[in-house]
Amino acid sequence: MADLALKGVRKAFGGLEVIKGVDLDIRDGEFVVFVGPSGCGKSTLLRMIAGLETVTGGEVSIGGKVMNGVPAPRRGISMVFQSYALYPHMSVRENMSFGLQIAGMDKAETTRRVEAAAEILQIGDYLDRAPRALSGGQRQRVAIGRAIVREPEVFLFDEPLSNLDAALRGQTRVEIARLHARLGTTMIYVTHDQTEAMTLADRIVVLRGGRVEQVGTPLELYRAPANDFVAGFIGGHTMNFLSPEQGRALLAGTGGAVPAGAKIIGVRPEHLRLAEPGAPGLTGRIDVVEEFGEFGLYHLTLDEAPEGHREITLKSDAEGLGGEGAQITLTCRPEAIHAFDDKGAALAAGSPAGAGRADRPSEETRHVR
Amino acid sequence: MRDPRSSWASPWLSGSIPVLVLAALPALLFVGVLLYFTLWAVVFSFTDLELFGRKATDWSFVGIENYERLFTRRGFLESLWTTLTFTFFSAIVGQSVLGFLLASTLRRYRGSMRGTIEVCLMLGWLLPDIVAAFLWSATTSKTGLVNQVILGPLGVEPVNFLNDYALQVVILANIWKGTAWSYLLYSAALDNVPGEVVEAAKVDGANGWQRTRRVILPIIKPHIGTNMLFITIWTFTYFPLIYAMTGGGPGSQTETLPIFLYQQSFSVGKLGYGSAISVAMLAIVGVMSIFYLRLLKEPK
Repeated sequence: MADLALKGVRKAFGGLEVIKGVDLDIRDGEFVVFVGPSGCGKSTLLRMIAGLETVTGGEVSIGGKVMNGVPAPRRGISMVFQSYALYPHMSVRENMSFGLQIAGMDKAETTRRVEAAAEILQIGDYLDRAPRALSGGQRQRVAIGRAIVREPEVFLFDEPLSNLDAALRGQTRVEIARLHARLGTTMIYVTHDQTEAMTLADRIVVLRGGRVEQVGTPLELYRAPANDFVAGFIGGHTMNFLSPEQGRALLAGTGGAVPAGAKIIGVRPEHLRLAEPGAPGLTGRIDVVEEFGEFGLYHLTLDEAPEGHREITLKSDAEGLGGEGAQITLTCRPEAIHAFDDKGAALAAGSPAGAGRADRPSEETRHVR
Repeated sequence: MRDPRSSWASPWLSGSIPVLVLAALPALLFVGVLLYFTLWAVVFSFTDLELFGRKATDWSFVGIENYERLFTRRGFLESLWTTLTFTFFSAIVGQSVLGFLLASTLRRYRGSMRGTIEVCLMLGWLLPDIVAAFLWSATTSKTGLVNQVILGPLGVEPVNFLNDYALQVVILANIWKGTAWSYLLYSAALDNVPGEVVEAAKVDGANGWQRTRRVILPIIKPHIGTNMLFITIWTFTYFPLIYAMTGGGPGSQTETLPIFLYQQSFSVGKLGYGSAISVAMLAIVGVMSIFYLRLLKEPK
């Protein structure tokens, strides 16, 4: 196990810079998720840590040692690839033993490790099968097994769940979390899926265009996004972005105010509520209702809205909101407002940023509901 | 309820008998023509038919005499050995290994260098055999480029390569001529090896040689089999380049089976014996093909 540090890490392909200076400290045993839209550089960053891409500038160090010029196998890392990358001509057992064999490990120890990993991952029954005879989920386990047997200091996962179907993805997510709890090894996990990031990570690193937008625990990112990009990216249902006037209308009946200098107001669908009858608020007409059972997503068109801010989504489990075509008025608690300046950076909201936002119990309870 | 025809006929044809018959006609005709020529060779291999003279018209069956001659007379076995040497060194070692090395090296490069080398390879392939033969003869002759530019300045006496090293020169010429095919085939095969699998091997600690031998080569094994099948058959029956360069000589040093067959049939005029040689070649190539086809099969 080891900690890992990136110092001013840069990567350029030809003249195109894809990683524009990343600083990051990852503690021993931490589960860190790199998340961002495609092309943000998250996979490149992971591959640089793995030693599969050269580092153009800055330093990558693992366990205190600078690894820039060190080849992949001597970095103490294991990697699980998106396509699983199993050796198609080898059995499951051979796939898992290959690295150990190359390293010259004796047969007894190799067998012991392969069988221990197979036990953890419940793939003992398929050890002598070829990869093509396995399902996607089974292949995924073999790929993880191949990573485990090397007993690495750091596990690297490159979008390991993206080729699985939705049900299996949820199940495997939990298994990876269990694996981390069991092994306690440092893990770095790349995904474009914010749900995986939120559920797996000790800390999330949000990347955009080769830069780190924000680093923090899932709740920090959810509650106090540093800018509108993080705010829009993190969260099960995309945040609504309103004009300052709409924000004022939303808060009209609550005594709250939109912070000075705010250009964009963000409010999450789950924080919107129906206003008391006759109370002021933001009015709109329900276009589409997506009923999930435990809650509904109401997509509204707002009355008298400026271009780009016409639509809003409300997440609610309240009954009697009305069906499609119903006219409703929305409000929300002032603390639930996120305000961003003209550059998209977060402003202090109804309460001061940081400490103020971190203890907002009402949000938490409603979220868990 | 299974239509018995569905077991062999393609499903979009089997619906209509007239269409099926119509579609099968060219194929049947083609198979018929192929069989006709093969049978012709087989039948005449049991006769004493000759190109000129009395036996050109008044031939008779002589049993397996021609086949006995293959083994009792000088010529065939020596020629077979020459052919095997030629095929082994020019196709299996030369074209295949060189083609693989070029394909695996060049795929890391993009742009002008790769393009230039590819064009050069293709030029060898596209140049007509006779032109290529002339170029090689001229280059390796006593007053040719190699002697003038390389050996002369080094103070070495001029060497007539085509006389002194005939088989080696012919092998080199065929490597130069045929490597493009292996290069193209292996390039396509290597494109099919998933990049992440190779990277996984890298992370597993395999060096370049181990990655090639234990991961890449096993994955492209079927392609290697296909390539070997093609180039072995082609090289085994390859005629024009050698014939134009050496005519099989000096002596019979470069007399591969196709040239031996040609000499026996059309210079000596023994068409019956020539037919027996061609049937023997067919059998040898057939056996080699079976060997390669086993390589092509996916393991269970």
